[in-house]
Amino acid sequence: MKAKVGALMAVVLGLSYLTVPVIAHHGFDTEYDPSKKVSLTGVVTKVSWLNPHMRVYIDVTDKNGVVTNWNLELTSPNSVRRQGWGKNDLLPGDKVNFEATPGKLVANRGALSSISKVGENRRLFVRGGPEAEQEGSVK
Amino acid sequence: MRTLLVIQATIAGLALPLFLHSQGVVSSVPVGGTPTVSAKDAARPAPRLPDGKPDLSGPWDGCWKTAPGQGCFGGGTNNDMEADIGMKPGELDTVLQPWARELRHSRKEKDEPYVGCLPMGVPRINPYPTRIVESYTDKGMSHIFILHETGDAGAHRQVFMDGRKHPDDNDLFPSWFGHSIGWWDGDTLVVDTVGYNDKFWLDGKGTPHTEQMHTIERYTRPNFGTLRLDFTLDDPGAFTRPLEVTFTFKLMRPGLEMMEFICLEDNEYGGASGLTPADESGNKEKAGPKR
Repeated sequence: MKAKVGALMAVVLGLSYLTVPVIAHHGFDTEYDPSKKVSLTGVVTKVSWLNPHMRVYIDVTDKNGVVTNWNLELTSPNSVRRQGWGKNDLLPGDKVNFEATPGKLVANRGALSSISKVGENRRLFVRGGPEAEQEGSVK
Repeated sequence: MRTLLVIQATIAGLALPLFLHSQGVVSSVPVGGTPTVSAKDAARPAPRLPDGKPDLSGPWDGCWKTAPGQGCFGGGTNNDMEADIGMKPGELDTVLQPWARELRHSRKEKDEPYVGCLPMGVPRINPYPTRIVESYTDKGMSHIFILHETGDAGAHRQVFMDGRKHPDDNDLFPSWFGHSIGWWDGDTLVVDTVGYNDKFWLDGKGTPHTEQMHTIERYTRPNFGTLRLDFTLDDPGAFTRPLEVTFTFKLMRPGLEMMEFICLEDNEYGGASGLTPADESGNKEKAGPKR
């Protein structure tokens, strides 16, 4: 996928109460900065159901019109599928709200901690599958 | 005499989220874990194969226990062998040879072979399922294959059940999963393995071992939903004494299967990606995204 990486305007939130995934294939703190978190809105450009970990790519446009493509890691696609999620649950073109932990060296290569489609009060790829009881959505 | 270090995994864990951090378990999380059978189903009697041998097939979830900052475990070691086998902080150091202790503390997680999609070895496990295939010829059970979903990063383990011995030294080449022979001790499958290489780490912390490592695995299925593994690790090259540990697997929910897992297809941390993990050297040139 062609990246459109521009100047990064990340919204860095608080230092506590973070939702930080343990990445099975490698250590979380090795790659990501758990002291930071971003909360952004963008358009999905690609959902990569590939091993060892699936990834969601999202274009985020800042106030200056600069587009940054976020490369966001989840866990194993097999683990996500076994919870009941499928390839049609999130597609390119979907507008989403998401939260992520930025990468240590390349901020927009981060870890996805929460994602939902704009206008839908349903968090995607959570444990329990599409029928899981939701604890609210990403704002 | 061997000192026992026993984890008795007796309680079906609550569905703790896999998404953890050293600050503690969080409540709203993305997906993780593998669904397992209900406690009611798990308590049913263990099934048997047509020849009367215990059916050990699974597939099994070896990562049903979680702890803050540790990742999941249960069926083997994972991120931190010390915690995964029920040791207290600092206890593992007391059973490692000085050189092994020093190496363990000097290793960086980003350097572990598994991050580059090389095998995890034994008794390493991670969130992916395990299946045990009991294979027959006209002469009876000839092989058992222990499959793990990490695919090329896990490969398959081949256990010879035909009564053969380990090869002599001239034919024993060190390998990631060693040479395994097995037999039945009543309803217990015993797997004896030698010939490991020293390349894999016993956990994400870098706990080392040597080519002298000898493992004995004793598998039983006490009920429908449980696979118990009594595991002996004897490596006089790296440890001061053998370790004996009990691991536990849980049966996955009906309808769920192992899936294809080709680690290198999109590993952004292995050599195929052209990327290296972020590290304290600040080598941003190598760490940039290629897309």
